[in-house]
This record gives sequence, structure tokens and C-alpha cells, in this order.
Amino acid sequence: MRDPANQPVESPEYPPELARLPPGRHGLPREFVSHNQRERLIAGLAEAVAENGYAGTTIAHITRNAAVSRRTFYEHFGSKDECFIAAYDTVMAELRERVEEAFGQEEEWPQAVRAGIRAMLEFLAAEPHLARLSMVEALVAGPVVVERYDAAIQSLVPYFAAGREGLSKEVLAGLSPTTEEALVGGMVSLISRRIFADRTEELESLLPDLVEFTLTPYLGSTEAAKVARAS
Amino acid sequence: MARHQRVRIIAALAQESSEQGYQQVTVADIVSRAGIARNTFYENFRSKEDCFLATQEYAMTAALERVVAAAGELGNWADRVCAGLTAFLEYVVEEPALARTCMVEALSAGPAAVERYERSQQAFVSLFKLGRDVSPHGGQLPETLEEAIVGGVFWIVYQRLAVGEVAAIPALLPELTEFALTPYLGAEPAREAAARASGNLRSKPGA
Repeated sequence: MRDPANQPVESPEYPPELARLPPGRHGLPREFVSHNQRERLIAGLAEAVAENGYAGTTIAHITRNAAVSRRTFYEHFGSKDECFIAAYDTVMAELRERVEEAFGQEEEWPQAVRAGIRAMLEFLAAEPHLARLSMVEALVAGPVVVERYDAAIQSLVPYFAAGREGLSKEVLAGLSPTTEEALVGGMVSLISRRIFADRTEELESLLPDLVEFTLTPYLGSTEAAKVARAS
Repeated sequence: MARHQRVRIIAALAQESSEQGYQQVTVADIVSRAGIARNTFYENFRSKEDCFLATQEYAMTAALERVVAAAGELGNWADRVCAGLTAFLEYVVEEPALARTCMVEALSAGPAAVERYERSQQAFVSLFKLGRDVSPHGGQLPETLEEAIVGGVFWIVYQRLAVGEVAAIPALLPELTEFALTPYLGAEPAREAAARASGNLRSKPGA
């Protein structure tokens, strides 16, 4: 195995204007697109998976989209699976960063939850290819990715668990330990279903329903509905 | 005989899928697991995909029959929800491989499988929807509420299946019932109703 971090710098195989991904076609946020080969390969995979599905994607599709040679592909990744995992991790890191930022900007927890959910829906709606990659194709990409997918969803639990702080003993007694897990699962199932059905344009309109659904156990439905409808 | 063979093949597909993931399973794996000839497989199913859809149909029918039978007998809505969830959890514990195949693998098995998966949630969606009639704010509840509750219940069960904690599933009953009732009744009444309903079920002779 070669150490990908310790490679001699290669001269570009294509003139920069050809090697660059045309903006807009690949569905990646601009910050993902760079001259860096590894990132170009990741973007190339996202584009190929959007067109052909995970199973139908070949290394030839990826290298064509990324405008690099097959050899370069294998200098960065051992297999298609490995490249997919890198792409998945990149998308999830981006999504996590946006959610965290939005969540952190609000003083109050209910508003923070609303901001976090909004950031997630906006990202997925703006990037339908990445939404599909992370929420649909991830499920068919083998056990390693599925394990990461499960972990990514479970990593949302603490955002909701923070709502337990400051609640009265009586309310806390009514919250079972699996509340947050169930809320996260319910939220993700609504989101994934729209993505499966290629209805990403509906995602943002889920915001009030998701906010009300996730806040109700903590605030009661009247208060939860008030926060939800203020969005 | 033919039915027996089909069920055996279905069980083999479920076993293989839950061990290595549906995408990786081959007809050869299913055939060797079921201990049948390759020809026998193709006498019953056109392809692996066809076999998967039959597996889903088989498990869904069995689970739904139980849920409907259990929930239909009772008068009180909260009791019906609890009875329906009990029947569902019992099925999952009895048939963990089939349950895993239908709840987890279905999402990676193509559009027809996803469509069936969504249909499998409908029995619960209708059952939960009845809660709008007994809820003090039934008219204002979000349209997607039932879909979200079912998604949450399935996710919790799926997580236990994914890590092989089948034995922990029956104990989830009171919390899942409470989770399903809360949006309709409020947290406190939901907890009481869930405790009462699971208590009633436990004290029922033969339950």
C-alpha cells in the first residue's frame, strides 16, 4: 500500500481549464471543488453516483468526471468503495458543520433546534445529488458505509437531548431514555422518503412539521407548535 | 410442498441478507443456505429481486395480520396502539432476520421494495391517525405526524436489530407506546395510558 499522504507532486495531466469541473453540473458546493485531485475524484464520484446509482458507477465514470487517469485514482483510493466512503465522509462533515453553526447561533434551545433542522433541509434541498448520495446510495454501499450512516444519524441525538436541561422533574420523568433516538429516526425517515422519491424540492416545507414533532415531548404540543409556526 | 419450498428460500434470503447485506447476496448463497437445487430456486422465483419482493410480502402479511388482529379487539385507542405495537415487537423477536430484511435491507433493494416498505407502515399510520379523534388538539396536528412516529418506532427497532440486541426489543414496549401517544395526549397522560395499557396486556391471561 502506498501512503497517499507521501506522494511526489504530480504535474497536472490536463491543462487546468479542462481539469476543472464545470461549475454547476456536478452539484457540489463551490468549496468542495478545487484543483486537488482527491477532491476532484470525490466530486467525480458524486456526479457518477447521481447519474448511475452506486451499483452502476464504475471507476471509469469517476476518472472521466474528475478528468484524471485511472492510475491517479488508484494512487488515492484502493477501490470504488473507498472513494465512496471518502465522499460520504466529506458530505457528512459539511452537513455537520452547517448544522452545528446554525444551532450555535441561537441563544434558546427551541430556536436552535429549528435553526439546525432548517440548515440541514436547506443543504439537502440545494444539493440533491449529495442528498441522494448520503441518504439513499449510502444504504446500498455496503456494511462499512451503513455503519457510518447509522452513527451519523445517532450523532444528532445530543442536539435534542440538550432540551432536557432545565425541565421540571415531572416532565423529565415522562421522557423515556429512547425519546431522542425515536425523534431522530422519525425526522430522518420523513427526509429520506422525500429524497428516495426524488422530491427534494419538498424538503424545506417539512420544517414546521419537523420542529413541532421534535419539540413536543419537551415543550408540550402548544408551545412546540408556536415555535414551529414562527419559522 | 411448493409453498414449503418458497418459505424455505425466503428464510434463506433473509438469513443471508441479514448477515452480509442484501446487495452482496447471490442466488448461489441463497441456494446453498436453503439446501436446494439452483433449478428449484428458478422454479419459484425469476431472480434475486423477485425473491426479495416475495420475502417482503411474506413478512409484511404475517406481521400486519398480527397487528390488526391484536389492535382490532380493543375499544380504547391507547390500548389498541399498545396492543398493535406488542404484536409487532413479538413478530420482530420471533423473526429477526425477516424483520431486518424488511426494515433495513428493503431500502437498498430498489423502488419496488421501497414502495412495499412504505406500504408496510400504513397499518400503523392508520392506527395512530385514530388518535386525532381523541386528542384535544387533533385538528391542529401536523400532517406528517404519523409518518414521523412510525419512522421513529421503526428506527429504534432497527437500531436494536442492527447491533443484534434482539433480546432488548420486548422491553421497549412502554417507551414506544408512550412515544406514539405523546403528540396526541400530552406527555403525562401518554405515560399513564402507556403504563396502564402495557400493564393490562401483561395481566391478560395467556399474554
